[in-house]
Amino acid sequence: MSLIATRPGPGAARAYRFPQVVRRTAAGGQVVAAHLPGQNLAVALLLLDGGAGREPVGKEGLGAVLAKALEEGTAQRDATAYALAIEALGTELSTGLDWDSFQVSVQVPVDRLTAAVELLAEAVRTPRLDPADVRRVRDDEATALRMDWANPGPRADAVLRAELFGAQHRWGRPLYGDPDSVAALEVDDVTVFHSEWFIRPGTLIVAGDLDRIDLDALAATAFAGAGGGPVERGGPIDVPLTGQRRIILVDRPGSVQSTLRLGHPSPHRAHPDHVPMTLAGTVLGGAFTSRLNHLIREVRGYTYGIRGDFASSRRFGRFAVSSGVQTAVTAPALVESVGEISRTQLTGVTEDELEVARSWRAGQLSVELQSPRAIAAALTTLVVHDLPDDYHARLREQLLAATVEDVSAAAATYLHPESLTMVIEGDAAVIRDELVASGLGEVLDHT
Amino acid sequence: MPDSGFPWPIETTRLDNGLRVVVSEDRTAPAVAVNLWYDVGSRHEPAGQTGFAHLFEHLMFEGSVNVAKTEHMKLIQGAGGSLNATTNPDRTNYFETVPAEHLELALWLEADRMGGLVPALTQETLDNQRDVVKNERRQRYENVPYGDAWLRLLPLLYPPGHPYHHATIGSMADLNAADLATFQEFHSTYYAPNNAVLTVVGDTTAAEVFGLADKYFGGLAARADIPAAPDGRTVPATGRPAVETVTADVPAPRVYVAHRTHPFGTPGYDVTTVLATVLGSGRGSRLYQRLADGERIAQPDLVGAYGVDLAHAPAPLIATATARPGVSAERLRDGLAEVVDELATVPVTAAELDRAKALLSTMWWRQMSTVDGRADTLGRYATQFGDPARAADRLPAWLAVTAEQIAEQAAELLGAADRVILTYLPEEK
Repeated sequence: MSLIATRPGPGAARAYRFPQVVRRTAAGGQVVAAHLPGQNLAVALLLLDGGAGREPVGKEGLGAVLAKALEEGTAQRDATAYALAIEALGTELSTGLDWDSFQVSVQVPVDRLTAAVELLAEAVRTPRLDPADVRRVRDDEATALRMDWANPGPRADAVLRAELFGAQHRWGRPLYGDPDSVAALEVDDVTVFHSEWFIRPGTLIVAGDLDRIDLDALAATAFAGAGGGPVERGGPIDVPLTGQRRIILVDRPGSVQSTLRLGHPSPHRAHPDHVPMTLAGTVLGGAFTSRLNHLIREVRGYTYGIRGDFASSRRFGRFAVSSGVQTAVTAPALVESVGEISRTQLTGVTEDELEVARSWRAGQLSVELQSPRAIAAALTTLVVHDLPDDYHARLREQLLAATVEDVSAAAATYLHPESLTMVIEGDAAVIRDELVASGLGEVLDHT
Repeated sequence: MPDSGFPWPIETTRLDNGLRVVVSEDRTAPAVAVNLWYDVGSRHEPAGQTGFAHLFEHLMFEGSVNVAKTEHMKLIQGAGGSLNATTNPDRTNYFETVPAEHLELALWLEADRMGGLVPALTQETLDNQRDVVKNERRQRYENVPYGDAWLRLLPLLYPPGHPYHHATIGSMADLNAADLATFQEFHSTYYAPNNAVLTVVGDTTAAEVFGLADKYFGGLAARADIPAAPDGRTVPATGRPAVETVTADVPAPRVYVAHRTHPFGTPGYDVTTVLATVLGSGRGSRLYQRLADGERIAQPDLVGAYGVDLAHAPAPLIATATARPGVSAERLRDGLAEVVDELATVPVTAAELDRAKALLSTMWWRQMSTVDGRADTLGRYATQFGDPARAADRLPAWLAVTAEQIAEQAAELLGAADRVILTYLPEEK
């Protein structure tokens, strides 16, 4: 056996390039496209200002129910005919929503894109929304959420969100609602939400070989019959820190693992410290090589994985750590996790760690932005956050230029271990005493 | 019909030590995907050593002769790359996608753990990763409703002694019993260059990769006597269905219907793939139309069917549905069985067939749309069928499947006597 002992250095660096971005106004709406020469697959995505942030308090899950109801028939054909028509093109209608936007998309071989966008627009602009169908979809969605909430995680997530942001606000409630909020939705809620947010033109995102795609024709299809202008989106929300560390125990009797959700509020997406804050999160918990994963998984063996990050939308953000740990080690895992957060806040990051973090984040801009689906998602980021065509190239430069001082300062400023809310979903009878004894904070039972 | 599902160049070579090297150049993005398929999976595990192939996959990230513990991840992520590995019954694959200038680093790391893992393997590392894997088992199989369905289906589908009888994750008892010497022996036995395929796709040339492969892997010794897994190609029919009912902490009744079909890569399994799509993929599928929409006995998001692409024995076809509130497990089971039965008696229409083929075409091109997707596909075909170029045949083969073939396969293989039925019932509260 002979191995080469010397680790090779890198070869000549390739120039970074994001695909050419094309923006135009057509047929009364905006089109943002990326040219992917030779790509056989194409994605078209209609981006609407109808995210969860637009749902009234008490109506959580409205967007998710409407998403399903779009496929229950249109002005032109019933649900079965619609399913057969769109799937015959090789795509399903994909829907998604976050706090800032609602997205509907199709993914097809490029020669079928026009036909697929016709069907997309038909469902978005002219859904049938028959009351009986809407009620059934609502009930199905409530059942689906009940199924999902039987898994560990959703309950803990909801408790953490309510604690961080306040359940009196829409953003203090679950993104997709909960089983009860969905079950309480009325048909009118759904039809009104549709008429308010799904008739406005929105932005058509296209990722594919633009030499084989007629953007003007796609725009004419996507924006036909649309009307109404943009609506004020609201500024950043100031969310106070609690200033007091607390443990909230969510009982899951018999659970062989405890689900950890630790968090506190953090700045919104457009904050000037976004890049150093993201890198601080990467060093602490954002990569496999992060401090948290190294200690809790690779050294202690308490978990299959643990991660922590800063996440942000247009109006608010949060820092959170999540993991599932073996029940017997719940308290030590929690103590050591809080210890790593505190250490990072107090002493910052090292050059060695930061070198990995910035190279990784920068390299991911080449490695992960390949498929039409991934490129379309990158374009939606440009649109939702009002970013320029060269955003990804500039982000790459900012990442690579970040210094230990910048990132350590961000860790010191935006990590708040003293204000962590720590939600633990697990077998309360087994873990409560240990959590109390940990001395990390007051232990409350979620009811 | 497209002539080829793989319209990119493929170049291959074989080093003197038996390592097969596959290269597909594509200059579209400044990235390369590096992928290694080792022809070892849980099908090779003897009784008492279940879960070893997968636990071993974890150990491959924990350092080798010239790479310190946890340094592998750090070097790849520090180069801007993505990486992972998976183990299934058939094989173990390791892969990273990196900015193109770091190709040599990735190859050096892979060579070092192929040739130099054993001296670096310690009891401490084994104990740590054993705990990690036990937590993986808890998180993915034990702590979620229905999480153990796959663990229950396999022994119902395959008899004791069959290489697919046990699940890749293994049993807690076997994981607890794992000792260091067994893992050292495991590596020496299976992680040999002549038991692996190295595939590189992306911003490079075949000449560059062949040269680097020879430089880093060329000094590793071949192993002459790699033991084969037990032969599982013939599974004797029992003449009666295998039925299991589980009462558990689940939110609604759920039913799985499963059958043994053909090995992945055979013409018969191409029929299975199209059949499964007709049966259970999308809102236009038979299961959705009949159970979720028509009779409305199944939850719409939780109804479906799929084949599990295993190549060394008749692969499973699995159909599943979860009851709507107020619907009994019996009614759901009967409804699901009826739709499966009708594949033999109610001919698949041209529209159903076209829909399935369109969905499969998109699925294929989605896999081909990234360098990592292409690398894994080429590695599979080189490992399992001896020729990466055979990847080009799969999509045309799907598109050539006929309604008659689907009906014939349903009549031959999907009968009630060959059926596995697994039912979950909620506990009485």
